[in-house]
Amino acid sequence: MNYPIWELPTIGGGTLIAIIAVLHVFIAHLAVGGGLFLVLTEMRARKNNDQGLLGYVKSHTQFFLLLTMVFGGITGVGIWFIISLVQPAGTSFLIHNFVFAWATEWVFFIGEIVALLIYHYKFDSMDPKNHVVIGWFYFIFAWLSLFIINGIIDFMLTPGQWAETQNFWQGFFNPSFLPSLIFRTGIALSFAGLFGLVTASFRKDKKLRSRLYKLDTKWLLVPFVLIILSAFWYLAIIPEDASANIMKFNPEVKPFIHLLITATILIFLGGLLFLARIPKGFQRILVFVMVIIGLGWMAGFEYTREIARKPYVVYGYMYSHGVVADSAEKINKEGFLKTAKWSQFKEVNNENVMQTGKELADMQCMACHTLGGHNDLVSRTNHLTERGMEAKLSGLGHISEYMPPFLGTDKEKKALAAYLVRGLNNKEGASQSSEFNAEKEKTVIPEFNEDSDYVLMAWNDLGMHCISDNSDYFSFLPPANTLWAQLIKRGPKPTVVSEGVKIKYEVEEGYKNPGEHVNFWKNAKKTYGVDLKEGIGLAGKGLTGEMNQNTHNTFIAKFIPVTPYKDDGSYNPYPQFKIIAMDKNTGEKLASTKVVAPNSTEMGCKNCHRGDWRVNDISGMADLTAENILKVHDRIEGTELERQAENDNPVLCQQCHGDPAIGVKGKENILNFSTAIHGFHANYLTGMDGDACNMCHPNDPSGNTRCLRGRHSRLGPLDCTTCHGKIEDHALALLKHEEQYGKKRVAKLKNKLVPRSVKSYKDIKPRQPWLQQPDCKSCHTNFDIRNIKKAPLGFNRWVSGSSALYRNRTDTHGVMCAACHGSPHAVYFGKNMYSEDRDNIQPLQYMGFAGTIGVKGNCKVCHTKEMKVNGHHRNMIKKDVIVKQPGPNTVFKSED
Amino acid sequence: MISQIIPSAEALPVNWWWFQVLLIVTFLLHIILMNFILGGSLLSLWDAFRKRTFKQDSMTIPTLIALTINLGVPPLLFLQVIYGNFFYTSSIIMASLWILIIPILILAYYGAYIYVFKNKKTPVFAKTTLTITAVFLLFIAFMLVNNNTLMLRPERWEMYFANQSGWQLNFGEPTLWPRFLHFLTGAIAVAGLGKAIYYHFKKKIPDKDKNAEKTRGLKIFGFATMIQVVIGIWFWLSLPENIWKMFMGGDLFATIWLMLGIAIALFLIYSSTQGKFKTTTFLLVFLLLNMIINREMVRYAYLKDAGDPANLNVSPEYGSLAMFLVVFLIGLGALYYMIKLIIKPKQT
Repeated sequence: MNYPIWELPTIGGGTLIAIIAVLHVFIAHLAVGGGLFLVLTEMRARKNNDQGLLGYVKSHTQFFLLLTMVFGGITGVGIWFIISLVQPAGTSFLIHNFVFAWATEWVFFIGEIVALLIYHYKFDSMDPKNHVVIGWFYFIFAWLSLFIINGIIDFMLTPGQWAETQNFWQGFFNPSFLPSLIFRTGIALSFAGLFGLVTASFRKDKKLRSRLYKLDTKWLLVPFVLIILSAFWYLAIIPEDASANIMKFNPEVKPFIHLLITATILIFLGGLLFLARIPKGFQRILVFVMVIIGLGWMAGFEYTREIARKPYVVYGYMYSHGVVADSAEKINKEGFLKTAKWSQFKEVNNENVMQTGKELADMQCMACHTLGGHNDLVSRTNHLTERGMEAKLSGLGHISEYMPPFLGTDKEKKALAAYLVRGLNNKEGASQSSEFNAEKEKTVIPEFNEDSDYVLMAWNDLGMHCISDNSDYFSFLPPANTLWAQLIKRGPKPTVVSEGVKIKYEVEEGYKNPGEHVNFWKNAKKTYGVDLKEGIGLAGKGLTGEMNQNTHNTFIAKFIPVTPYKDDGSYNPYPQFKIIAMDKNTGEKLASTKVVAPNSTEMGCKNCHRGDWRVNDISGMADLTAENILKVHDRIEGTELERQAENDNPVLCQQCHGDPAIGVKGKENILNFSTAIHGFHANYLTGMDGDACNMCHPNDPSGNTRCLRGRHSRLGPLDCTTCHGKIEDHALALLKHEEQYGKKRVAKLKNKLVPRSVKSYKDIKPRQPWLQQPDCKSCHTNFDIRNIKKAPLGFNRWVSGSSALYRNRTDTHGVMCAACHGSPHAVYFGKNMYSEDRDNIQPLQYMGFAGTIGVKGNCKVCHTKEMKVNGHHRNMIKKDVIVKQPGPNTVFKSED
Repeated sequence: MISQIIPSAEALPVNWWWFQVLLIVTFLLHIILMNFILGGSLLSLWDAFRKRTFKQDSMTIPTLIALTINLGVPPLLFLQVIYGNFFYTSSIIMASLWILIIPILILAYYGAYIYVFKNKKTPVFAKTTLTITAVFLLFIAFMLVNNNTLMLRPERWEMYFANQSGWQLNFGEPTLWPRFLHFLTGAIAVAGLGKAIYYHFKKKIPDKDKNAEKTRGLKIFGFATMIQVVIGIWFWLSLPENIWKMFMGGDLFATIWLMLGIAIALFLIYSSTQGKFKTTTFLLVFLLLNMIINREMVRYAYLKDAGDPANLNVSPEYGSLAMFLVVFLIGLGALYYMIKLIIKPKQT
């Protein structure tokens, strides 16, 4: 950034430009069209020797001179003055590139002025024929100056070939030159009629007045044909993103588009009124109303054109704040403040965060925003937390190209976010977000009888199920935990038992009334299309019940509607279920164990979408948050979800966005849910690591869930991204899958995402959500334990399909992977923040320490003796594996 | 530090001399007309209050304002081409005051029209508007002097950090007041001569009155120029040492050129008091050109180290220059033709 900033916090430089420009352009168009009006009307008057009409032309000339030459002329210079103060870089660029176009325009300007002065002062004293010649001179000069300015203004919106060649002529005669020239000529002619009405209304002769009204109305209305036709041409020619800026009716453009449309209709109707017989006084008032409407029309059009051009001052070349787009990479690398000539601070450090943040705001935001005025920066950011603000800054210019991207380093981005949130909105900063302290509980491990004939394994299929718990607004994840179990008959040759037995499950005390904590059942019919009895899940299971037989000799209880909210008002996302295997016929208890059904309502939506936690300041999605999400969706996609929710008709997101997770197909051509939500949000979370995931998923290191809690969480540098990929990569893989189906939205979401783990987009392997996940074997080749430093990433090494997923796989003997290794995200041995061994129950129960079932010579858990060969998979007999002894809060207690 | 804050300059489409020459030529035209309206409005004010008369020549003020503004455009344009990075910066430092020029100029312009139109019907009101016009024009002149001095002194730009809302002027700049007074006195002098020119060409006026007005105009010119010599020397010596010394042997051409200007000024005092109308008029145009070239030499010397326009990159684009030159010639032809049409007698 080259120039200092003129601080105009409340009014805003943009507003000043708008005021001066709209006034000028209003009069300037009149100055062109009025020229033709004067000379043609004079010719008619002279031809018919119509003294009344000639007198009118003369008096109109004086009015015209005083308005166009004084006010129009100086405000024209005024635009130049104001843009060089508010947008010096852009002005300098236009001056240097088009200096001789401006100089040529000046020649036309002086011709215009001299002609008009002669036309006015010599109205009576010149030879009439020559006077008419002067009139024509005036009009031609005036129109030629429009011709020149039009080229430069349109260049700013559609530079066309200039972008490649930097050729003056290609820039000047750019793609929108012609439609715009015709459009503006149409406006000019129409305004001639509009202002003709003004002077006409002051003529005393009634007959003359009504003749003049007819004449002026013709001038006012006939050019509308030209205006409307060229407007469509104009719209068709401007860049796609530019027309999206207008047509998407974004909040800034909306009032101006409405103004434009309303004013067009009113001018037309107002014009027709002049043809009717109405009282003189009313006509005179109407004239002035019409002039004001005309001004509003001009403001509507010019503002719409300006908005179309955003985020650029010269489309594709220079951003609204005056930074050349090509320099972004250099600025991001070296730092905005360091490269900005007029920054007082060159680097962000701990002491100057607010000052540097303010400098960044002044230089990058205030070219368009104000503080408290038009396009107010405070009210537009007050729904965001500091982290949300950072995300917002990361995503600027990604989804909607309406605003320029943030330019600068990560530190600078954080400083700007801190200033916007703490400085402008007086909110607490990110550093003050408090850590959730879980109330530590004891883990009671059921004792295992070494002589038992059976051993029971149970696990949860996902290791964490998230719940969107405010279905008054929308729902995409119901309370629905799925538990699995396998019963093994012990012996030298153990077998997996599925016949003649039944397996029951029962949630622990305190979780039995989920209907009191979430509004899922109230809205189930509207969102999921089924009437459900409170406490019963989507697959008909309650909080206690019997598991069903399943493939692979397993038992399953699908979609148990457990929630993390306990009846006493406390919160624990790890409710324990007692699992009991019984003889089907006799009811004799064969084996029992416990397992957690992890589920969380810690969705980080509020990090960006305003609002606090819904429940007891702990977790859950507040109304404000949910409402804000719908507002954003409605704004970007043109939906009416907020209104639907207000009318007590909340939606299931997957009704449109299909989702294998809940088995809903969605609508054709609309992105599946996972792709939509990751593809969209990845644009706001670029450059981050696991912290990007934690912004939304329940794995915030200071949060109330801390989902990643298995063995992998103990291995220092591992985080979500080690397996799933960085957020950009993760999103791109999903988007690429959807791209195969030609879904339109993909392009918009992927365009600004840069792959991080692979070189380019083409190296990314498409992935179907839920059904394709990273393959454990990409690190654990040969089922070996890998040195984390040497292990490849899980990203891009997807399993072939659902059956190959960890949660669906077995060994060669039909034992599920998860039976011995535990639930995904919580593979044995884990650490749980609520009680250390909550996720290690079965290893502790069967082996007395936490680790994979069977390690350290514990084949006897099933085999009743130590084994010497790798029976289930290669490399499984190891002595040197790390295991964990029970924690201090872990107690063993007999179940009987 | 100072070189760090100077915005980088952009490439030119043709060699900088084109702009320098065009700047000098168009500024000459602008400054003559500017002198007519600024000095003219002050002299009209004097006439209106002191002599209680309305002079016919005041009628020309509104028209001349239109032309002055118009002719101010090209020099400002060419200045921005070769010194834009300096000029935009100084403008931003005084932005709020700088933009006030626009509404104030509009009011001054309308004020001039009111004075002309309403002088007979409501003289008190007309005089009031004339006063406002004159004061406003002085304000604009003062702003221009502030900006034009501030743009030359990047080392003073740090004042921006004390106040970024654009309400600062270049007070503390030693050349500010002498430069302003230099322009002001010059404006009165040239406007005096302008009156003489007006009455020289004025028809339908008794010879006696014509001669009296011409003599009076020349006298005003002569008297103001006498004062101007003193102010001019003050202005000269208020310049930084290396610059005023440039005109005193430091640079041969600059020294000869300035001395020539002083000699002409002294001669003009003589010729005007002797009533030599034509000699005075022609020599004055040359003197104004002389001073404008001095002004450009001073500006160049000030900014040579910070941004010598000779070092600016050129990415050649002669086609647009050719367009301008052709249109300029056609424009001149059209102006000539239109003026010829006025002179043509009316056929009835």
